[in-house]
Amino acid sequence: MKESLLEILRCPLDKSELELEDAEYADDGEEVVSGTLVCTECGEEYPIEDGIPNLLPPDMREETPA
Amino acid sequence: MPSVKGQEWYQADDVAEEYDDKRFSRGGQLIDRREKEAVLEAITPVEDRRILEIACGTGRFTVMLAEAGADVVGLDISAAMLQQGRSKSQNAELSGTLEFLRGDAGRLPFPDDHFDTVIAMRFFHLADDPEAFLREMRRVSREQIVFDTFNRFSARSVYNWALPMGSRLYSKSEVSTLLAKTDLTLVDVEDDFLVPYGAYRSIPNSLASPIRTLDTVVGGTPITDHFASVSYWNTRLR
Repeated sequence: MKESLLEILRCPLDKSELELEDAEYADDGEEVVSGTLVCTECGEEYPIEDGIPNLLPPDMREETPA
Repeated sequence: MPSVKGQEWYQADDVAEEYDDKRFSRGGQLIDRREKEAVLEAITPVEDRRILEIACGTGRFTVMLAEAGADVVGLDISAAMLQQGRSKSQNAELSGTLEFLRGDAGRLPFPDDHFDTVIAMRFFHLADDPEAFLREMRRVSREQIVFDTFNRFSARSVYNWALPMGSRLYSKSEVSTLLAKTDLTLVDVEDDFLVPYGAYRSIPNSLASPIRTLDTVVGGTPITDHFASVSYWNTRLR
């Protein structure tokens, strides 16, 4: 994902804004390939996996294999 | 909480890798083309539109729309499907933008009224609570929602048993009720494919074309309308 996507991403639980932590960038410096999105309200964490943010709510993560 | 049928089957890596080949080879190409036409027709002009696709799969529509200049976000539950879409988009010439993300269609990770258009193709036949999903799509859209349904009374029901999961079929009045409940106005509805999808997929291209032509001719008359197996719905927020 591009970092600009952060502007429109919200926590799926409470729709609050997210902060990007521990970001690793691709060689072009534009694409975030891994990192964590953290909800500024409830603190829930959402991983970025192979460049694709996983915004599945926590209760859906176990039953949905990667 | 609303859920989607067939989640596990759909997310398996091998299903994702073969998905485009299986679904859109042979007769499937005709369906692919027709569906893309339906989407483009409903959304045009595409340029600079903010579009969200629910259940984008391997990105058939998202890539097409981003090539045409839209700013597109594709959401799906399957990481394997999304990776296919991501590599497809890296090889494409996009004049707009395209981002993929994993999420739940029932709890979308976006603010209210962000997108101009939200589309959901081949989604509602797997939805257990269509009203809840449609309501959530409406929350993040400020103008338009485009989706398709497989129709009740269609020839499609005879081969439903062959699918990995049963399909939910809709009657016209059910969809009208859904639209009324979610404050959506119908702009246009188009019916297509008298012959069910399964038949298209299993016949060679040379045969598929004439059948498709016949289908259009017969399907164009009002009498056979309710036998059509797919409807494309173009709706606007009230």
